[in-house]
Amino acid sequence: MTVTSGVAASRRIFRRGAAFRDAGPPVALVVLFLIFAALSPQFRSIENVQNIVDAAAVLAVVTCGITFVLMMGSIDLSAAGVMGASALTVSLLVANNRNDNDFGLAGIAVAVVLGCAFGCLSGLALVLLKVPSFMATLGVSAIGLGVATLMFAGVQPNITDAMLKSWAIERFLGLSYLTWIAAACILVGWLIQRYTRLGRYAFAIGGAEEVLTLSGVKVKPYKVAVFALAGAFYGLGGVMVTSQLGAGLVQAGNGYDFSAITAAVVGGTLLTGGRGGILHSAVGVVLVMVLTNGLVQVGVSPYWQGGVEGLIVVAAVAAAVIPQRRRNQVVK
Amino acid sequence: MKIAFRPTAVLLTLSLAVVGLAACSEAPAGENDPAGAGACKPADVKLVGQVRNESNPYEASWLAGGDAFAKTVGLTQQRLTYGGDSTKQQEQISQILAGDTKCLVMNVLPNGDSDTAPIVKGADKAGAFLVTQWNKPADLKPADYKTWISHITYNGVESGKQIGDALAKSIGGSGGIIALQGVLDTAAAKDRFAGLQESLKANPGVQLLDQQTANFSRAEALTVTKTLLTKHGDKVKGIWAANDDMALGALEALQQAGKSGKVAVVGIDAVPDAVTAVQNGTMTATVSSDGTWQGGIGLAIGFCVATGKLQVKDIAADNRAFFAEQFLITKDNAADFAQPKTNPSDFDCANVFKRVAGPLK
Repeated sequence: MTVTSGVAASRRIFRRGAAFRDAGPPVALVVLFLIFAALSPQFRSIENVQNIVDAAAVLAVVTCGITFVLMMGSIDLSAAGVMGASALTVSLLVANNRNDNDFGLAGIAVAVVLGCAFGCLSGLALVLLKVPSFMATLGVSAIGLGVATLMFAGVQPNITDAMLKSWAIERFLGLSYLTWIAAACILVGWLIQRYTRLGRYAFAIGGAEEVLTLSGVKVKPYKVAVFALAGAFYGLGGVMVTSQLGAGLVQAGNGYDFSAITAAVVGGTLLTGGRGGILHSAVGVVLVMVLTNGLVQVGVSPYWQGGVEGLIVVAAVAAAVIPQRRRNQVVK
Repeated sequence: MKIAFRPTAVLLTLSLAVVGLAACSEAPAGENDPAGAGACKPADVKLVGQVRNESNPYEASWLAGGDAFAKTVGLTQQRLTYGGDSTKQQEQISQILAGDTKCLVMNVLPNGDSDTAPIVKGADKAGAFLVTQWNKPADLKPADYKTWISHITYNGVESGKQIGDALAKSIGGSGGIIALQGVLDTAAAKDRFAGLQESLKANPGVQLLDQQTANFSRAEALTVTKTLLTKHGDKVKGIWAANDDMALGALEALQQAGKSGKVAVVGIDAVPDAVTAVQNGTMTATVSSDGTWQGGIGLAIGFCVATGKLQVKDIAADNRAFFAEQFLITKDNAADFAQPKTNPSDFDCANVFKRVAGPLK
């Protein structure tokens, strides 16, 4: 009797710990939002909330991709290059001022598939050539930027495709189409994570790869598939940036690699793998966006902003991993 | 038989081979005598243009200008790009200087102020003719060197003021504006913003509602502008951007906020898209440094000295480091700048210093 009740008690404690851990980032988000809302009336306007959500769209899609890689315990720095290549590809394939192409949706699909191919390349370099994911993806990013620069050829391609342009401008229920696309991506990402073998294994690889290998699972194809999936998300991210800016830029993905990792980590996805997930990352994305928007709205001087933002991010992550630290005794 | 693959050994062999090659090619260097300047036949001159990358229209037009000049003298320009990486730039320079430097002419865009000194010292030692643009530390002066002919830059305070005034004029002299700054710790961003402040003093009706940095980036400018538009609403009558990329980002933000055409936007650099926007009226003004001219002029000055048509000692002190003329582009004259083109007579040895707007103090 005593034994059973002991087990039940410890399980309850564990559950409470898990709930506490998961609650950190959403609580931080609410607190941050309330602080900014108290300080600035413009911040709490409906218009600004729409603006924050719209601004989060691209980062949300990129973070969806990177989350799968992080869950697996790998890292992915290829977003900048892949997005650049996909941005140039899509802008040259839809109606634009450089050539007579007008492939519309097919052009967008090609850009996403290209991103997927780049992701595949990272994954293959990781499992076949044993290049650490850090280096493999950094290399793939450079390749992506190289490909993008070749396609750029000195003249900025501006898109004239009405459909792609409308994604950033047209609104449905107060939010831009891009935001709905991002929401769809989060939903798809969550379904993959929750209900497919790919998603479950990504978690398992990050948690205990050896156990998985010993139980006869071939992890390599899944690793490649995860990178390919992430690449497809980056490809779509590049398309979305192109829609926003109305032009294909080599620098389309500038900074998104680290912003996405930051958002994922702030949301509670661990760099060591096996924890977190798409919904955590989505919270992280909104948190980062609230922070950047809020600092401007309350009028923090631009000379201070970078530093203040960094400080808050470090504090948020520290708060999020405190329960973790007590459980594991050590955090790398 | 089993062949063992030893990465260390392979690396060592490779690096030895590279050192060997470098040593061979270095041999002819150092024999050059800067005093022998002017002894070069035009056909022996080697032209090198170096910029950060070809993935932005401005630097691409720079290299195109270099090509255009090279063509007028029957030569080709060697195009170098270093991807904004200071180390890579220095490596490329030392590689070039390790070759035959007797009639070498270089037109270089140093990555940052601190990158200029090693380039200048290397070129001086090898006797290569050098023109640098945009970046140099204030205490490093071409006048102290024999083959560093000129340093060309632009007065950011002036351009910041020019577009500030154009913006004030287009909003009728009164109303609120917002400013998008560049990378805060660069001289270009500081000078251009100082220019805006001068303009604000001259136009007391114009009020600076807010200023934020968008790091010279189109994507960041889009987000920052959207945020500032929700913050200040209809009070925003104009947007001052420290470069055209940010101005174009601001235009997209206006379009997404449904305020296209209701807010005046100005920028600097005259990238092709901005010139088009000025031409069709969506943007109010931009300032051109004329990238194609910059690409050609550095090589032209070097070529004139190398072939003896100009003597370094005859060049006026004010022309050794100078602000070049820049052009305010508004709807009236945008058509002239729509197609980047070079005027061969600008590169005549008698005209190479025609665009000096003032000495760089």
